[in-house]
Amino acid sequence: MKVLVPVKRVVDYNVKIRVKPDNSGVDLSNVKMSVNPFCEIAIEEAVRLKEAGTATEVVAVTVGSSASQEQLRTCLALGADRAVLIETDADAQPLGIAKALKALQEKEGAELVIFGKQSIDGDNSQTGQMFAALTGMPQGTFASEVKIADGRIDVTREIDGGLQTVSLKLPAVVTTDLRLNEPRYASLPNIMKAKKKPLDVVTPDELGVDLTPSVEVLSVEPPAERQAGIKVESVEELVDKLKNEAKVIS
Amino acid sequence: MDLNLTEEQTLIVGMVRRFVREEILPLELGLDPDASELPAEEKDRLVALTREMGLYGLGIPPEYGGPEIDLVTQTLIAVEMSQHRAGLYAPCYGAFGGAGLAQLFEATEAQKERYLYPTLKGEKRGFFGLSEPSGGSDPARAIQTRAVREGDDWIINGGKLWISGADKADYGLVFARTDPDRGRNGVTCFIVDADTPGFHVRRIVHTLRAAHYATELSFEDMRVPSANILGKVNGGFAIANDRLTRQRIPYAAGCIGVAIKAQEMALDYVPQRETFGAPLSTRQGIQWMLVDNDIDIRQSLWITLEAASRADQKQPFRKEAAMAKLVATEAGGRVVDRCMQMFGGLGVAKELPFERWFREMRIRRIGEGPSEVQRHVIARELLGASFR
Repeated sequence: MKVLVPVKRVVDYNVKIRVKPDNSGVDLSNVKMSVNPFCEIAIEEAVRLKEAGTATEVVAVTVGSSASQEQLRTCLALGADRAVLIETDADAQPLGIAKALKALQEKEGAELVIFGKQSIDGDNSQTGQMFAALTGMPQGTFASEVKIADGRIDVTREIDGGLQTVSLKLPAVVTTDLRLNEPRYASLPNIMKAKKKPLDVVTPDELGVDLTPSVEVLSVEPPAERQAGIKVESVEELVDKLKNEAKVIS
Repeated sequence: MDLNLTEEQTLIVGMVRRFVREEILPLELGLDPDASELPAEEKDRLVALTREMGLYGLGIPPEYGGPEIDLVTQTLIAVEMSQHRAGLYAPCYGAFGGAGLAQLFEATEAQKERYLYPTLKGEKRGFFGLSEPSGGSDPARAIQTRAVREGDDWIINGGKLWISGADKADYGLVFARTDPDRGRNGVTCFIVDADTPGFHVRRIVHTLRAAHYATELSFEDMRVPSANILGKVNGGFAIANDRLTRQRIPYAAGCIGVAIKAQEMALDYVPQRETFGAPLSTRQGIQWMLVDNDIDIRQSLWITLEAASRADQKQPFRKEAAMAKLVATEAGGRVVDRCMQMFGGLGVAKELPFERWFREMRIRRIGEGPSEVQRHVIARELLGASFR
């Protein structure tokens, strides 16, 4: 079974980001970039499936600039067998990415496609679902557990108020939630091997896909700054402030 | 000339950075500010992780089970590993293992069986006994501990000072004078078991480091067999010297890592902290401290990587290693001092790591050969024979 894992290059979660002065977006100059954490979970799950003998090949793919090769190498070091970069300098958005991945899937014919449930930059949580809709494959989103048997995959989903298990016929799409697994550290021998693994570059043109954005970003604003706290002298004062200033009790 | 990291180095550095961020920093929040060891179960858990990463036993030659990585990459790792409170003297609290007494790789097979292998397995601990009350930087003259031959044994009398870990060690390397008339060519290295009659740990010497104290040792008619000589009789100086040169590179790397972390914290803090109605980051006095820090860090890093690169290419690197040690320890001290200043009262509080770094960083200008001795080494390399 071949597993396709689309990943995204995002600002490292540890970086405190700054909005550009003209509010056109987030300042990405000299900022450390990483594999989106949810996508790392997706890679980890695919590699575990391979180690368990369920999967035969793990292919990591991303849509982005040539700089994204660094993140694909990370995926290879984590255990993916090969990688594909769909290279574009365009501001790729979920629908365009889903279309590009559909075109690639038509060539790859993976039986399982594992996405991160969302990226920590755009927080859209759309690409996996759009891809499933475009390809007509069944989807199990926000997975906290997956089990594969007899041509089906059972996906336990984290939903409001509990867990839901859906059973999908393969080929299928899964998006990962935080608790699906804990990604490993890359190992030195695997890092050394990663360089020798194939990393193919294709263009959206070659795939016959148009990545022109369909959504325009008008303005990006930083979150409102949190006000400093205060100390109160007495319980009465606290209750008064909660009632009349914060208005959280009545 | 390409000054970028290779793809592999980028991945390795990223992996160690993540390890420090996700495993060490959260753990450290719950430790004593001066802690240098982890509870056993935590240490075992982390060692299991570094083994999985294939990075356990940094500095151990591959034929003894260490990872196969060049010194430049090891230096980059050492810079990452030290980016936490205990990072200067206990990088990652020992989770990456290490070679310990590297000169034991030159030992005879019988000596390796008895001392090296158990040390690599973590079953035995050793100490390095070179410095004496008469000095440490000039071993050729300062070593007054005497070893006199008696049959197949040697009788050692004398003492050592500033020795780390001797009170908890199973054995140690003791350098003693075996020929009083031959200066540097009259010193021999003995492997001494700590339970040898006549071996005494006289006292603990407390220093600026709260955790890794030093000890003073004395030897009274301590009988050591010839079989415990490391290398050749009167060949001890080369063993000591080689170790001192190599050790300078990781010593520098630790200082650089701490400086990087201190600067990162300062860069994070100054835009938030307001004084007289504006953030500290708008003050030129503060900005210049940050600029000087960045330059200090950068020059230390490149000089140290150059030394490591020369060692990797089997070129002479004595001068470069001395420069790395000199520059990184002095620059590290300046960076920590400036960051402490920017943090004001918080900078000296035990809640933040600056005060520990400040104390430990001060030792770095003295330990492993003080700045003046490094300058002496560099001058000798520059002037060559005409120096004498």
